[in-house]
Amino acid sequence: MVNLVVEHLKYRYPLGNELALEDISFEVKKGEFIGIIGENGSGKSTLCQAIVGLVPNFYKGAYGGKVLVKEIEVAQSDVSEISSYVGIVFQNPFTQITGSKLTVYEEVAFGLENLGIPREEMIKRIEESLKLLRLFEYRHFNPFELSGGQMQRLAIASVIAMKPDILVLDEPTSQLDPQGSEEVFQAIQDLAKNGMTIIIAEHKIEKIASYADKIILLHKGKLVDFDTPEKIFSREDIEEYGIVPPVYTRICKSLNVKNEAGFYPVTLEQVYYELVKVYG
Amino acid sequence: MRYLSLYQEGNSLLHKIDPITKLLFVIIAILVPIIINTLTMALAFFIISTLLVFVARAFKRTLPIISFSSLVIITVLFIQGLFYLKNQTPFFTLGPFVFYKEGLLYATGIAIRIFNIINAVAVLIFTTKPSDLIEALVKKGVSPKIGYVFSSVLQIIPQMMSIVDTILDAQKARGLETEGSFTKRAKAFIPLIGPAVLNSLISTKERAMALEVRGFNSKKKKTFLNEVPYNKYSNVLQVALIAILVFSIIWRIISW
Repeated sequence: MVNLVVEHLKYRYPLGNELALEDISFEVKKGEFIGIIGENGSGKSTLCQAIVGLVPNFYKGAYGGKVLVKEIEVAQSDVSEISSYVGIVFQNPFTQITGSKLTVYEEVAFGLENLGIPREEMIKRIEESLKLLRLFEYRHFNPFELSGGQMQRLAIASVIAMKPDILVLDEPTSQLDPQGSEEVFQAIQDLAKNGMTIIIAEHKIEKIASYADKIILLHKGKLVDFDTPEKIFSREDIEEYGIVPPVYTRICKSLNVKNEAGFYPVTLEQVYYELVKVYG
Repeated sequence: MRYLSLYQEGNSLLHKIDPITKLLFVIIAILVPIIINTLTMALAFFIISTLLVFVARAFKRTLPIISFSSLVIITVLFIQGLFYLKNQTPFFTLGPFVFYKEGLLYATGIAIRIFNIINAVAVLIFTTKPSDLIEALVKKGVSPKIGYVFSSVLQIIPQMMSIVDTILDAQKARGLETEGSFTKRAKAFIPLIGPAVLNSLISTKERAMALEVRGFNSKKKKTFLNEVPYNKYSNVLQVALIAILVFSIIWRIISW
């Protein structure tokens, strides 16, 4: 079942001279884990924001093409209404805290209150998402007392409590320390296991390689490729797009170890599997 | 966690009364002595609000506000005692100054009204969490956007202050002198303002987007996580307070 359709998406920021996104088309099926990679300025964040309708509804600017979430055209809908179908988590954990709630528990309730969810259902959803994100024990804490990683997990909990079909994460670990990043990736992995459709823009290539079913490779606002991590990182021209393949892929390239389909492995498990086949 | 609030945890009777009733009391305590402009009415409300301060166990926290206001009140007593237009009856003399009974009575009326307002407001702010008051107002129909502005400011301003401290530390680490003469300190502010303002603008934009994707502008009817516990006494008190206000207006019209 297709969850998200992007058709010939083009976008230019109000004060921009060049297209930030140029003729982007792809489809995402329910439960897929999609990574978006590309160097700085390639359009990763703009694409994430276009999926939730912030582009063009929040930024305005010139827009063409379509983004359909469950057959609803996001550009034609209010961002607030779309939030029940697709949620987004941004880079900075601090600015995602509303600042109007005094506890973690109330913070998760914020979006649900706005959507008019009945109180009993609200409590059920808050507790579910806090437990899933391993924040239940912090429910009485003030959100600003949490660490960066915990704050980012709170932002994810607040979004998933709204029960979106798709969760978009725009470099969620870029401002976190290694421990905070690990906590967030663990949480994302748990969500993926629960069948949530995840789209994540991320610079941590090793993580993307090990979690993603498919990867979107962007360069200067254009979609260069949309395929499996093995195919994307096996491209001979990958480094021309500012992407350094995962360390396992580079090792396999130097040893010329490929899988049955003829692509280089991207994770430790895949490398181990291929090496066992070769060396026994 | 820094939070701009004067709320004092407690379990007094006034802590249990809902915020709207307390807010209504503050409004009545200010309006009624104005509508029925007699010293007796002002004194009656002053006594009630002072008693409520004691019931709320907030006297210690109210005392500094009263002490500070007393400085202003003493000035009023001096000026009115000496120069009130209707001064006729000398009350006492202090060196070359003659204080008149009419002026002193008038100033006493002002003092009682001011102390009444301070006590009434103290009862509200020391026994009510600002977030509870704002949420109660939003439930009564105040725009959620206005509610958000007030409730977020209480937490975000202290957070922004700590960001300014971080920027200041970063600038100090680069050799910026922030201590010394007034000119030196004023100069130190210039490299601080740029990053602080930019940071605030970026944060505001990001927070606006985060609110948007959490349904802040949703047209659906808002629901609330926190329920105001049903308190039959609150309803009785609210009706009684409104009745007092209506009665005082009627009284004023009749006695005009």
